[in-house]
Amino acid sequence: MANFHPMREFLRTPNPWMPAGIAATVVYVVFVCLPVLALLIRAVQQESFADSLTSNIALQALRLSLITSLVSMVVVVVLGTPFALLLARSDSRILKAVDSLVELPLVLPPVVAGVAMLMAFGRQGLIGPALSGLGISLPFTTIAVVFAQMFVAAPFYVRAAKLGFQSVARDYEDVSQTLGVSPWRTFWKLTLPLAAPSIIGGLALAWARAISEFGATIMFAGNLTGRTQTMPLAILSAMESDLGAALSLSVLLLIGSLAVLLVLGMFTRRQWQGRL
Amino acid sequence: MTKGWVRCQLGDFSLETEWEAVPGQVLVLFGPSGAGKTTTLRAIAGLVQPLRGHIEVGGQVVYDSDSQVWVPPHRRRVGYLTQRYHLFPHLSLIGNISFGLTKRSTADYHPKIEYLLRSLQLEGLEERHIWELSGGQQQRVALARALATDPQVLLLDEPFSSLDGELRRTLHGEVRSILSEANIPVILVTHDREEALALGDAIQVIDRGQTLSRGDPLQVLGQPGQARVARLVGVENVLSMYVESRHPQDGTMVCGSRDAATGPVSTLHLEVPLSDLAKGQPVTVGIRASDIILAGEKLVSSSARNQIAGKVIAVELRPPGYEVTLDCAGIGFRCHITGTSLSEMGIKPGLDLWAVFKASSCFLVAEDAV
Repeated sequence: MANFHPMREFLRTPNPWMPAGIAATVVYVVFVCLPVLALLIRAVQQESFADSLTSNIALQALRLSLITSLVSMVVVVVLGTPFALLLARSDSRILKAVDSLVELPLVLPPVVAGVAMLMAFGRQGLIGPALSGLGISLPFTTIAVVFAQMFVAAPFYVRAAKLGFQSVARDYEDVSQTLGVSPWRTFWKLTLPLAAPSIIGGLALAWARAISEFGATIMFAGNLTGRTQTMPLAILSAMESDLGAALSLSVLLLIGSLAVLLVLGMFTRRQWQGRL
Repeated sequence: MTKGWVRCQLGDFSLETEWEAVPGQVLVLFGPSGAGKTTTLRAIAGLVQPLRGHIEVGGQVVYDSDSQVWVPPHRRRVGYLTQRYHLFPHLSLIGNISFGLTKRSTADYHPKIEYLLRSLQLEGLEERHIWELSGGQQQRVALARALATDPQVLLLDEPFSSLDGELRRTLHGEVRSILSEANIPVILVTHDREEALALGDAIQVIDRGQTLSRGDPLQVLGQPGQARVARLVGVENVLSMYVESRHPQDGTMVCGSRDAATGPVSTLHLEVPLSDLAKGQPVTVGIRASDIILAGEKLVSSSARNQIAGKVIAVELRPPGYEVTLDCAGIGFRCHITGTSLSEMGIKPGLDLWAVFKASSCFLVAEDAV
């Protein structure tokens, strides 16, 4: 069976639901690709593509998005990695409950997250007055943007990192220790590299989610040019005045998304995967 | 030298074991799965925390519950080879072997690594990925990795179980010579008789967390003194009998068969080595299948004290030879013979044969007090 080809074999086998499957596939592909294609065509058609990209508003939004998403990713990695390791390695019941809580932001509407953060950190919020006593006011600042991004993006990272660590059987770490390698060095030399594909994948997804954050940001941080207006917010504003700028920013985000897909495809597959 | 004792409690399972292994020698921990062999190894390596105990590795106390000594695994200097090797898949062959060596010490260890590569026939494969290696090569890499850090004791947890018989026998020889050159104590966990005999200098039979027997592998596996051990090590014929008559002048006694539940039935008589059991007392007799000779007719002049007529009821392939089961007065006798004997004698079910064996091939095993 040198020429065995699963897909061809599958298509050759008569199957009652296969026509429906093929039709659905076509519909799905068209449904996803048509808007993307339309966006690209319209963006290229306009004469001032480069101009609108380098317009003040677009540049400021781009800069802000990059900086805030970078900061939120650093915090997510620094806090999320030890957290994920603990979740992966412990079987305490409390941590199990915490584990399911991690995924709450995944299913919570971002707007609700924004309102909730406002209720916590806002001037009239739960700990807002205490913060303003210290001279700190979070809402409608760049830090609020970072907060909103971390809130919605962290679960993607923590979940992937946890699965990555879980995929490394404890026996590997045991063997490493008997070779005279301390638990700390075992983590850096063994556990982390083996979990890396999963971690990088999670980071890419988390970053994509952070950079596209809209609902929580507009609620908690507002839409202030140069301070809290990230790219998605700038697109909304530009749609009213300058369609060209909105299109250019959209294309930029689209390119970013494709880059994330590329990262997912490239770095999350290792030759040794499935061999742990 | 490494020695110690531990008491461990893992859920419902409790383990109590004591061992002593000498440099250059292989101590075999023999027993069925779930006996506590692996747990013992892991306790020595510091990977499980015993309830109580005292463990010494290379003369150094690494654990003592009374004086509260606990040396973490990475400072114990043990080499640990797991059943599935657990080679690190993100590293090359050489990366695996030198994993435990720090940058500073790599230079010092270089001759050692070269020696290991050479003696384990891994030269030229240094940059290979782990999954590009054969099962036997992976096994050698795991062994080299464990030996590279100069351990004070080598713990082998069924390291040959995933290899086929031919390769296993080849590796036994290789490993044997590497181990004797390393001159450190080796503790080998296995449930394979052949492996225990090929590699072991001493053996300890463990079952359900208890050491049942210890001693010379040939003795313990060949003529185990307890019925439970006999069954564990796979003595093919274990018969319930009673003493019929004693013959001190020959150093033998004649036993008759006994039904474990109802008592003497005396359909079968065996002459076995003399013991201090009195006439009429029950006794359990073990005979290895390989100690029985099959004959087409009764030997007229023979020194063998036992000749029993029977009918072949089953012939099974049992590499490298065959196992023939003989029905002798309602008792199944299992005998091992070669394929050549099988075909030359034309053995097949239904054939009448004689089972012939010496009195000294029979050994008495003590029934356990349950």
